[in-house]
Amino acid sequence: MKRLFLSLTVTLAMLFVLTSCAKQPTQEMNDSKAAIDAVIADGGEKYANEEVKALNDQLTAATDEVKVQDGKFFKNYDKAKEMLAKVKADADALKAEIPARKEKAKNDATAALDAAKTAVTDAKALLAKAPKGKGTKADIEAMKADVAGLEASLTEAEGLIASEDYMAATDKANAAKDKAAQVAEQINQAMAKKK
Amino acid sequence: MHGKICAFLILCHVILYGCNTAPVPPEVAIAETQEHEIWRAGANFYMPAEYKAHKAALRTAKDHLIKQQSRLSLFRDYEPVRKEFGDIISGGNGLLNQIQEYKRTKLASIVAQITYFQNRIDTLKKLTLLINEGRAARRQLMSAELLLTEAQRFAEKGKYSDAEKKLKIIPIYAASASEAISPVLNRYADRNQISKWRTWANETIEVSREKGSYSIFVSKIDRQLVLYKNGRPYKTYTVGLGKNGFHDKLHAGDLATPEGKYYITKKLPRSKYYRALLINYPNEEDVRQFARAKKNGLISKRAGIGGLIEIHGGGKEGMTYGCIAMDDHHIQELYNLVNVGTPVTIVGAIDYDNIISSTIKDL
Repeated sequence: MKRLFLSLTVTLAMLFVLTSCAKQPTQEMNDSKAAIDAVIADGGEKYANEEVKALNDQLTAATDEVKVQDGKFFKNYDKAKEMLAKVKADADALKAEIPARKEKAKNDATAALDAAKTAVTDAKALLAKAPKGKGTKADIEAMKADVAGLEASLTEAEGLIASEDYMAATDKANAAKDKAAQVAEQINQAMAKKK
Repeated sequence: MHGKICAFLILCHVILYGCNTAPVPPEVAIAETQEHEIWRAGANFYMPAEYKAHKAALRTAKDHLIKQQSRLSLFRDYEPVRKEFGDIISGGNGLLNQIQEYKRTKLASIVAQITYFQNRIDTLKKLTLLINEGRAARRQLMSAELLLTEAQRFAEKGKYSDAEKKLKIIPIYAASASEAISPVLNRYADRNQISKWRTWANETIEVSREKGSYSIFVSKIDRQLVLYKNGRPYKTYTVGLGKNGFHDKLHAGDLATPEGKYYITKKLPRSKYYRALLINYPNEEDVRQFARAKKNGLISKRAGIGGLIEIHGGGKEGMTYGCIAMDDHHIQELYNLVNVGTPVTIVGAIDYDNIISSTIKDL
């Protein structure tokens, strides 16, 4: 009987030592959360929105695993720690990738602005070829005002690039480019009518 | 004795860890994947309250799942959790359908707005062209058109809230453009003003009839010069006007073409613009109007009333400083027919339902 009691005590003590002493991985949870926050602070929601959402979901899953273990008498946070380590590693990797994505967005915006500037310059060059004299046709005059409006939008796009709002700048520049091409086409048509 | 101990230990392990762990219901993973889909569909933009409620329900279900997972496997019962997640999936499907429907409605509304604004911009552009007006208005309209292009692009990408943000700004530019040209346009829709112009036109035609002579009648809105003979239209020519030709001339340098009853004071056979017929601008009414405008501070105190308004050649497409321009062969023809003293009446419009009055109704 004595031996039975001893065996039981040893077994339970071993189980207690092996499992229930495990501590909640608070530090890992904080580190993972901080890593995601750092991604967001660097513009993650703008440049990697989908990945940020996935990271947050992973963090929630890891936190849920922690909660599962919290509720157990014999706790084992190994899986949760593994999950949290992955969240942190993924977040760190994404954070490292953000500058390159930002740079790409900047380059795209700059290229779109350059293309728009070229299109507006082309339209202006066409207007310069329009008939001169005491006055010109009303439509040519109107298109000069249109080109002035386009130039104003290029200035806006430049402002957006300066304020690092690259996507909005790209959208604006692309719109200006399309419109400049339309105006150029209209100038050509007006000049053809004049001939 | 040893056998009993072993049996007891095995029993302990079975109680503590179970023979096998019941699997988590597949509905859990489905609900999680679905939540991502709902987010990707733009739930937080289009149905934030519903999405929040869905996420809260999912959270509660997950907490219930956690509770079950925390239990000893023998006591785990996933059935209520499975049912709960099943309900969430049904709710999620409903939410996805709602989002799709909302987006369809949104897209239809955006397309309708784009069409409406495009028509409005086109109308305003047409009017600016018609009245040779709108350096300022055209710039505003270009800004509106650029926003429209951006809105179209956003709509194509499914970014409806971004498209709507752009569309919301357009009325500001359209209103600004409309405001810039409305002082000119409103005169062409003002029945009292048109009645006055009609009276002048009738009087001029009457003079031609009574005296059996020529009278010149210019309608700015039609860009037409009609030569009347014996009270009947004899010749009709297309003409160009001042750069601000649809305004009534008020002072020197305003590039407007005067409105009123005039007559030819001089025939100029060697004009810079081929041939020219000088008229007696400013007449008495112009002088009075000029004095009133000056007194009311509508024009600069240093402004002059201007003069040297002619009907001349140079081409009907030209925009002048306020004169009436014709093709050279037409001014030659007119020059040969009329004499000093021939009445020249210039009006904005004589039809109440003219192109401007009917167009601005649509604005």
